[in-house]
Amino acid sequence: MAGGMLVTGLPKLATSAPSATMDTEILNFLLELEYLQQAFYSEATESGALAGELSEFAQAVGVHEDEHVAYLEELLGGEARSSPEFDFGDAATTEEKFAQTAFVLEEIGAGAYIGQGPNLTADRVTKVASLVSVEARHAAWIRAILEKNPAPRAADPPLAERKVRAEVAKLNFS
Amino acid sequence: MFDLTLEQVDQDGAFLDAVEGAFGRSRAEFLSKALVTGGVLLGALALPRRARSQEDDLSILNFDLAFEYLQATFYTEAEQLGTVDAMTAEQALWARTLGSHERAHVKIIKSVLGKAAVKRPAFNFGGATDTPESFTKTAVAMEDLTVSLLVGQADRFQSPDLVAAVFTLITTEARHATWARRIEGFTPIGKAFDDPMTLAEVDKVVATTNFVDSKLKTVAEGDPRFTG
Repeated sequence: MAGGMLVTGLPKLATSAPSATMDTEILNFLLELEYLQQAFYSEATESGALAGELSEFAQAVGVHEDEHVAYLEELLGGEARSSPEFDFGDAATTEEKFAQTAFVLEEIGAGAYIGQGPNLTADRVTKVASLVSVEARHAAWIRAILEKNPAPRAADPPLAERKVRAEVAKLNFS
Repeated sequence: MFDLTLEQVDQDGAFLDAVEGAFGRSRAEFLSKALVTGGVLLGALALPRRARSQEDDLSILNFDLAFEYLQATFYTEAEQLGTVDAMTAEQALWARTLGSHERAHVKIIKSVLGKAAVKRPAFNFGGATDTPESFTKTAVAMEDLTVSLLVGQADRFQSPDLVAAVFTLITTEARHATWARRIEGFTPIGKAFDDPMTLAEVDKVVATTNFVDSKLKTVAEGDPRFTG
């Protein structure tokens, strides 16, 4: 991975009480995931390699990720980190790889928000809750396209920050 | 096509892990076992002594419970009436999966509330559970409404553990909503953010359906300390 929170990790995350400092760390961590998703869908839609429902999915989800990035950047203001560079190889531009990668990215995203959202201060929680539900909708949609169960569990588990970083590293998009 | 595996219901204990901090490890462990074996009279357990803030948490949880009752009863009735059997294979799988999840949500929220849990209200779905068409249309609206309900309550819990627990349910309900919308041919996802709704707003929507014979209550029976 190219630098940033996805590599270095969050200090004492989930062990400290919610605070403004912690909000900044968490929101930057989530922003970096959103940057990754945004860049991925942007490359996919610009390539014109997708057709049918996959194309529809990439267009719709890409717009959402743009809005999520804009929202987190606004919240963070001057504290927002800039986007790392990504190299997706052909993962964004071949249909089968695109679908598999989107599935992984959306599940990582949902798990990361479930894990970190509750650690935010109260006034940040609602907006992030209204965002995590949309990440879960993305995951359900791409699962349905892949003929996987869109809602495999009655309660979705959180994904620990360390595991999020490990999963992202496996994708090798740095 | 994938199989419906009921064993996957809260298989990771996501919800129970989260409530553990709010209500203690031994209780969470007990609930975890109860969830697997089912049929245990959980209501007999008393909640631990609670602070004032926990009463508010319990009022919100009770509203969520009433709403989960509504959903679970809706899906179960459609199964019992044979409406689910009359669906396409994909629709039937969807309906049964959601039914199993909503019944699990009832069980786990009820377990957390223990004696403070509200009773199941009487429901009357009119013709909504009679045909696959009316059933699925209602289900789409109901799932979207649940997402807004939970998103709206996430920051209102005093206990951080309950906030964490609600996050594990928000995403599940959002998955339900998107699955339902796609099956019905609607845009699977509307917007980049789901709108939060207050309990009063949700209550108002539910009232327009006339599904609830006895009004949805946030007040536990025989417990005057709750003011809903």
